Amino acid sequence: MKTLPFHRRATAATSIIALTAALLVGCTSDSGSEDGVTTVTFAASTFGDPGRGPQLLEWLDEFNTSQNAIRVAAAAVPYPTFGQTVLTQMGSGRGPDLIRFDMPEFEAASEAGLIAPLDDVIDVSKYKLLEQPDKFMIHGGVRHGIIFEASNYAMFYNADLIPNPPTNYQEFFDTARSLTKGDVFGLAFRQTEAEEAGVWQDIFNYVYGFGGAWSDGTNLTINSPKNLEGLQAYKDLYDANVIPRGADAATFRRMFAEGKVGMELNNGGYVTATRGQNADLNFSVAPIPFPVRSQGSILAPIVINKASPAQDAAATFIRWALEPENQVKLQEILGASSVATVTERSAESLQETPFLTVFDELTPSSLPQIVLGFEAKTPDIRKVVVQNVIAALQGTVDLKTALDRAQQQATELVG
Amino acid sequence: MKGLRIGLTLRVVAVIVVLGLAVFPLYWMFVTALTSNADLFGQDARLIPDFSQFGVFVDALADGKATGWLLNSLTIAAGTTVLSIGLGIPLGYALSRFRFRGKAVMTIVLLFTQMLPEALMVVPLFALFRRFELLDSLTGLVLANSAFVLPIVALILKGAIDGIPNELDEAGRVDGARPFTVLTRINIPLIAPSIAASAVIAFFHAWNEYVFAVTFIFNPEIQPASVGIANFIGELGTPIQTVMAVAFMFTLPAVVFYLFVQRYVVAGMTAGAVKG
Repeated sequence: MKTLPFHRRATAATSIIALTAALLVGCTSDSGSEDGVTTVTFAASTFGDPGRGPQLLEWLDEFNTSQNAIRVAAAAVPYPTFGQTVLTQMGSGRGPDLIRFDMPEFEAASEAGLIAPLDDVIDVSKYKLLEQPDKFMIHGGVRHGIIFEASNYAMFYNADLIPNPPTNYQEFFDTARSLTKGDVFGLAFRQTEAEEAGVWQDIFNYVYGFGGAWSDGTNLTINSPKNLEGLQAYKDLYDANVIPRGADAATFRRMFAEGKVGMELNNGGYVTATRGQNADLNFSVAPIPFPVRSQGSILAPIVINKASPAQDAAATFIRWALEPENQVKLQEILGASSVATVTERSAESLQETPFLTVFDELTPSSLPQIVLGFEAKTPDIRKVVVQNVIAALQGTVDLKTALDRAQQQATELVG
Repeated sequence: MKGLRIGLTLRVVAVIVVLGLAVFPLYWMFVTALTSNADLFGQDARLIPDFSQFGVFVDALADGKATGWLLNSLTIAAGTTVLSIGLGIPLGYALSRFRFRGKAVMTIVLLFTQMLPEALMVVPLFALFRRFELLDSLTGLVLANSAFVLPIVALILKGAIDGIPNELDEAGRVDGARPFTVLTRINIPLIAPSIAASAVIAFFHAWNEYVFAVTFIFNPEIQPASVGIANFIGELGTPIQTVMAVAFMFTLPAVVFYLFVQRYVVAGMTAGAVKG
C-alpha cells in the first residue's frame, strides 16, 4: 500500500510532539526534601500583594539563612481561589504545611479538624500576645492558630481631593457625591458576586457601623432593623452612582492609587500596598464616620496543616516568627496592621506614617468578619447574604425582602 | 458580473467582521498591556498601543517565571493532545467497527462524562492521585486532562470513522491487512481532518485548564500559565498591565498550534480530491 505524503508528514509531526512531550514530562520532578534540609511550604495570599509580597518573601529568606535545617518556601496559591484550593488539598490529606488563613476559612478548617493543635509545640506564655484578636485563635480550649496579621478597617482618603475628612455619614455621602465627576469617583467598594468575600468584608462595616450585627451569638439577626439601616446606607451610595460600578477591587484600588477614587474603606494592610502602587500618592486615614464606632478587622492566623509531615519544622518557623525582632520586622512589612504580639512602632514608622495610631486606636472596637456563634458556618452564611444583598443592589428585589430572604435561607442552612 | 462583485464584497465584509470579533480581544489585551496608569483610568479609552511602555513585556519575562509557566502549559497541552489522540483513535475505531456487548452503554457513558463539571471531580481525583503519587507533577495533570478530553475525542473520531465506507476496510483485509494496518493505513489518513480538529480541542482544553492545575500542583516551578497568571491577582492589588502582557503571551502558542494543525485539516480535506 502506497504511503501518502500527508501520512508521512502527519506521522512526523505527531512523533515530534510526542517526543517533546515525553522529554518535557520526563524532565519534571516532584518537590521533596534535599540534602537533609526539611522544606516547609507556606501558603499565603499576601505573597502576591504589590509592595508587601516581595518584602514578605525576603522575611522568609531571613529565616532560611538563620539556620540550615529548615527551608520555608512560599507556595503560590492564587488569591481568587485560595480558600477553596487549600481547603480541598487539606481535606484530601495534602496541602501546604503552613497556611495564612482568613477567618471564615480558618473557622471552617478548624471545625473540620484539618488544623494541628499548637498547645504542645508553642508555649504562648513566653510571648505577650494581643488579647483581643488572640481569643479567636482558640476553639474549645485548643489553640489552632497564632495571629499573623490583625488589621482594622478605617477610611482611606485622598488628602489632595479631601482636605477635611467627613466625620459623619451624611458628610461621607455628600463628599462622595461632590467628588464624582468625569473619571474621578468619590468612593469605591465591592459590589459583584465574583468578589463574594470582598463584598462581605465591605458590608460588614456598614452593618456594624450602624449598630447592627449578623447574630446575637445564639440566633441569626440578618434582617434586624439596624442591619437594614446600615445596608440601606450602602445601597444609597451604590444608587447615587458615586462608585465605579462593575470595577473589581484590583481595579478601583489601582484607581485610588492613581488619584481617581476619593475614599475607600479598607484595612491597614492597604497602606503598604497603596505605596507599592504609587509612592507619591498623598493619602491619609481616619476612622469610618458611621454612627457607631464598630468596624471589621482582618484577622489572619498562621496555622499548621494537620496532614503536614513537617509539623515540627513548621512550629519552629512559627516560634522564630514570634521572636520580638522578627515581629517588629513583620509589622513594618505589613504596614498599619498589628501582629501577634504587642510591639512598639518605631519613631521612623510614626514619622513616615503619622496615621498609624488611628489603626491602633480602633483595635478595641474591631471585630473579625465572622458570624459570632456560627463561626464555622460563616462561608455559607456569607454566600446567602451577599447573593441577596447584590440582588437588592441590582433592583431585582427590595432590600428588606432581600434581607428577610437571607435570614430565612441562612437559618435553614445552620439548622 | 455586478452580482458577483456584490457577493464578493459581502463575503469580504463578513470575513472582516468575523476576523475583527476574533482578533479584537487579543488586540485589546495588547493595548492594555502597553497603556500607562494615567491612560488606563483616563476618561477616554486608548485604542492605539503606547510602545514606550513595552518594558512591561521585558519585565514580565525578566525573572524567567512566565517562560517557565508557558513551558509547563506547553508540556501539559502537548502531552494531553498526544495521549488523548493516541487513545482516542483506537477507541473510536473499536466503537465504530467492532460489535461487542455493552457497546451502546459504553457510548452513552462516554457522553455522560462530558456532563460532569470538573469541580465535581477535584476531590475524588485528588484522593486517587495522592494514592498513586501523581500530585504535584505534570504527568498527573496530563492524565487528568486526558481523562476529561478523551471521551469527546473518541466520539468525534468514531463519527468520522462511521463515515468511511466499510468496503475500504474489506478491500484492505482482502489484501491481507490486519485490523491495526487497516486502521493506520486506511482509516487514519481519511479521518485526518477530524484528528486535527480533535487535537485542537484537546490542546485548548489542557492549555486553558485551571481547576485541576491550581489544586494538584503545589510547587510554583511547575505551575502552568493559567495558574501563574492568576497569581498576579493579589488581595490588595493587581498589576493589570503585567497580567495583560503575560495573558497576551499565553494566547500566542495556542494560536500558533492552531495554525500549524489547520494546515493538516486542509491537507486532509483535499487529499485525494484530484484522484479519479
